[in-house]
Amino acid sequence: MNLSNGGRQPNLGPLEGSVMAILWEHGESNVHQVAERLERPLAYTTVMTTLDRLYKKGLLDRRKFERAFIYSPRTSRAEFEQQAAADVVVGYLARPHPAGEVLISSLVDVVGQLDEALLDELERKIQEKRKELEQRRRS
Amino acid sequence: MSLPYVPRLICLLLASFFLVNVTVGLAVNWLAPRAIRWAIGARPAIAARVLLAMRLLPAVAALAVVVLFCVPSYLWFEPEATEDVGLICLIAAVAGAACWAGSALRGMSAMRRAKQYSRRFECAGHEICVGDENVWVMDEAGGLLALAGIVRPRMVASREVLRELSPEQLEAALLHERAHRISRDNLKRLLLLVAPGVLPLSKRPAGLSALERAWARFTEWAADDRAVEGDQTRSVALASALVRVARMNGSNPGSHALVTSLIADGEDLEARVDRLLRAEPSSVHPESGGPAIAAWMLAGCVAVVAILPGALEIAHGVLERLVR
Repeated sequence: MNLSNGGRQPNLGPLEGSVMAILWEHGESNVHQVAERLERPLAYTTVMTTLDRLYKKGLLDRRKFERAFIYSPRTSRAEFEQQAAADVVVGYLARPHPAGEVLISSLVDVVGQLDEALLDELERKIQEKRKELEQRRRS
Repeated sequence: MSLPYVPRLICLLLASFFLVNVTVGLAVNWLAPRAIRWAIGARPAIAARVLLAMRLLPAVAALAVVVLFCVPSYLWFEPEATEDVGLICLIAAVAGAACWAGSALRGMSAMRRAKQYSRRFECAGHEICVGDENVWVMDEAGGLLALAGIVRPRMVASREVLRELSPEQLEAALLHERAHRISRDNLKRLLLLVAPGVLPLSKRPAGLSALERAWARFTEWAADDRAVEGDQTRSVALASALVRVARMNGSNPGSHALVTSLIADGEDLEARVDRLLRAEPSSVHPESGGPAIAAWMLAGCVAVVAILPGALEIAHGVLERLVR
């Protein structure tokens, strides 16, 4: 992956993450289209600034079309995540006396915890939906 | 290199197959991201069908050109004599043969593994009737609920799944697997597996791989839709069955190419549960014969064109250039 910041993956804030997710899912979009697809309504200028910041971080390409910029992701989501994961591993291994087995066991633990957390969250959503259906049935 | 009549025909057919497969394959690879973007907004069953057709198009188009144009034009116009075959044609023929050999090896290996898997549950398990569905029960622990086999796919479940799922959850999960069986998804998996990539002995290009992954995803969504048929209670039951089976971990055969398991590779679990919980009451539209009719019409048109001597003469001209 050839990012303008030398291949290093910048950290993304929550809004930046949402904007990237929209562009990965829908491809090329202008500011207006991204703003429309965001889950919470945000000012046009906020979205424009965020897109500009992502462009300057080297994560987006842009081209001008009828006086407006159209943005597209420079890498796929998979490539981005692969690079982010690689940065974490490289960062750890760069320390003096890194222990590979500790890294692997920690990764396994974290993935397990994330899986459990995701399943708990899904279970909670299902319970909510079940309650909603029961209430609807009663009324 | 001089080759007699029949070996030269084989050489030309393999070369033609390879060249058409590469050309159409590159076009499909380029179109794949656009098709996947379109598919996100389409009904999953339609999306899965279109993506499958796109993925198989290079091989089908190459076969159609070989069968409808190359063979008849060669038999019709080519004199029975030993003639030279050029280097480019030979290289293309070798590449074509490698494509076929790769496909055959992948297909045979997958079918052998599928057979071994079937034998395993036939030996270690026993068949019971759950509702109106016959299920092979395995004593092993873990969240195993799958459809195994190509010609006569059968349902396999671990004892733990049958014990832990409520009757509603189990019914919804079995309906999901039945939907895969009705759609012949294991057979489609086999077709995807044997479909050649663009170049032999190389990784499939990103676009074609993305099409296969997207097809797998939409197939799961389509099976979910068919299983719940717009019934919200059943949607919730299927969603909770997915989460329950995912918690069991264990012997999920998701990586087995010709076995369709309830939670597949688990990557799409969150999206599937969200879809099921969002589902509005609506009935699933019956399968339309539209694409099949269109395919037959297209095949008819190609056949008509193919039997025209003019078309065959052009095909023969192209083959003459290729062979030199």
